[in-house]
Amino acid sequence: MDGACCGPGYASPQEAIQAPREKLLYTIAIYTGTGIQKPDYLATVDVDPESPTYSQVIHRLEMPGIGDELHHMGWNACSSCHDDGSMSRKYLILPGVRSNKLHIVDTATDPRAPRLHKVVDGAEIKAKADLSGPHTVHCLGSEIIISFLGDAKGEAPGGYLHLDKEFNIVGRWENSMGDIKFGYDFWYQPRHNVMVSSEWAAPNTFMPGFDLEEVGHLKYGRELHFWDFEKREPIESFYLGEDGLLPLEVKFHHDPDSTHGFCGAALSTNVIHWWKDSDDAWKWEKIIDVENEMHPEWPIPLPGVMSAILISMDDKYLYLNNWLHGDMRQYDISDPHNPKLTGQVFMGGLLGKAPIVNGVEVAGGPQMFQLSLDGRRLYVTTSLFSTWDNQFYPEIREKGGVMVMIDCDPENGGMKINEDFIVDFGKEPNGPSRCHESRYPGGDCTSDIWL
Amino acid sequence: MTTHTVTISNRDGATFEVDARRPLLDTLREQGVDLPFGCKYGGCITCAAKLKTGTVDQRRQVALNNRQIANGYVILCVARATSDITLDIGVESHDKLYRNPFLDPLKPHELKADIATPKEG
Repeated sequence: MDGACCGPGYASPQEAIQAPREKLLYTIAIYTGTGIQKPDYLATVDVDPESPTYSQVIHRLEMPGIGDELHHMGWNACSSCHDDGSMSRKYLILPGVRSNKLHIVDTATDPRAPRLHKVVDGAEIKAKADLSGPHTVHCLGSEIIISFLGDAKGEAPGGYLHLDKEFNIVGRWENSMGDIKFGYDFWYQPRHNVMVSSEWAAPNTFMPGFDLEEVGHLKYGRELHFWDFEKREPIESFYLGEDGLLPLEVKFHHDPDSTHGFCGAALSTNVIHWWKDSDDAWKWEKIIDVENEMHPEWPIPLPGVMSAILISMDDKYLYLNNWLHGDMRQYDISDPHNPKLTGQVFMGGLLGKAPIVNGVEVAGGPQMFQLSLDGRRLYVTTSLFSTWDNQFYPEIREKGGVMVMIDCDPENGGMKINEDFIVDFGKEPNGPSRCHESRYPGGDCTSDIWL
Repeated sequence: MTTHTVTISNRDGATFEVDARRPLLDTLREQGVDLPFGCKYGGCITCAAKLKTGTVDQRRQVALNNRQIANGYVILCVARATSDITLDIGVESHDKLYRNPFLDPLKPHELKADIATPKEG
């Protein structure tokens, strides 16, 4: 788990890679939009192969009410305060996209059985900060910032909520949203005083489902924004055009000295790479372009829909999903300008290439994923967002989501589905639920930032 | 207090008297009807139900496109009954709420109200 000497996390990405293997994994599972009138919950999954309950859900923490739509989550503290012995990685923050609530969950008192510590009321957030539609949670030192995609009425661009370490609302974090039209994900690199944010859509646009026609009506984003992190204001935007429709997940290299970062443009199904060039200017380029595929029965080509990307802790590999095609891919990005495809596996998807994995019928496609710190195990789940699931994979109502583990080879490249691991959320006690983002108790490949 | 009668056809025709000034989600849940919901301001369609007879005022909803409205969907967290009504509730009523946008595109008049163009001809 966390380093022994001081605060949470690890002194460096290199130290994180050497951490003990993960034994527990937390993933959110939803009933919102499924027809089952139960709260969403945080599932604890046993990922210790020596344990008799390996590959099973061993605990479920239900939220206090129904209809949250838990989605992404983040820690109260990460490696950014590794030098602060007064801090610890104790609380996981679980926003409800629809309810606007923030659930603060204590995972430290009993890591196998997390407990609810506090709820920040959604109405209070609307009243004090005029924000709704929470998404990405990051910490910086003792402070926490969360991107919200809308104002209190669900209109774009929203902004950033600032919480103190006791989870009290400080107010809005940003000093200005500039000309930004939409919000979504963000990541920052403190040594370069930069934050990059991406664009999905207004909550009122994406929450009811995906009307493809609204992309042409400019209801969905196609820009990336570079911020002066200390001044808390955007300073430069890149218009990505048709190459960058729905730019979603944003990741910098873990190496805090690096200026290289990446974004997955979901609908264009491209990876955008940016870096600070020798002339001190930010540059961007498209480095991966997943071609549309023909569906066996459809008249029109099908985009991959790259809803997530992840960078291995050694910054050598980029992982991406094609939610509609059904494949996970691994690219060697040792030269970030020239990625090389080194691995690919199918699980679910609409192309019919892998309808059954380890005996379980997969509804949905690869969607969210979390990589072990050593880069060898990739845990992949299949649900995107309740309303969007219902449009593209209506059978997920009866089948639920599934968690698959992919063995990855960090030395030579390559991916292979692990045959001994599968968690079928279709068999949950209250009925089929849908699993989404996952995190480890000690920090993972999408949680920690180094100062 | 003006009241209307709500009949829920897929709950064995159960009937409820509701205050005409209050959202149907609140008045029905208070009387024990188990209903899904999410945002509670008309933005997310989790609480959508299908109106089979009667009329509602749902001017505050911003989630439905014009095709969904034409198919009878109402957003219970903001909709108020303006007559006696009959509803189908829950996901059993959602047969036409979701569509695959690649296979079944919306016509210009079927978009959400703020971007729809009038139906031609």
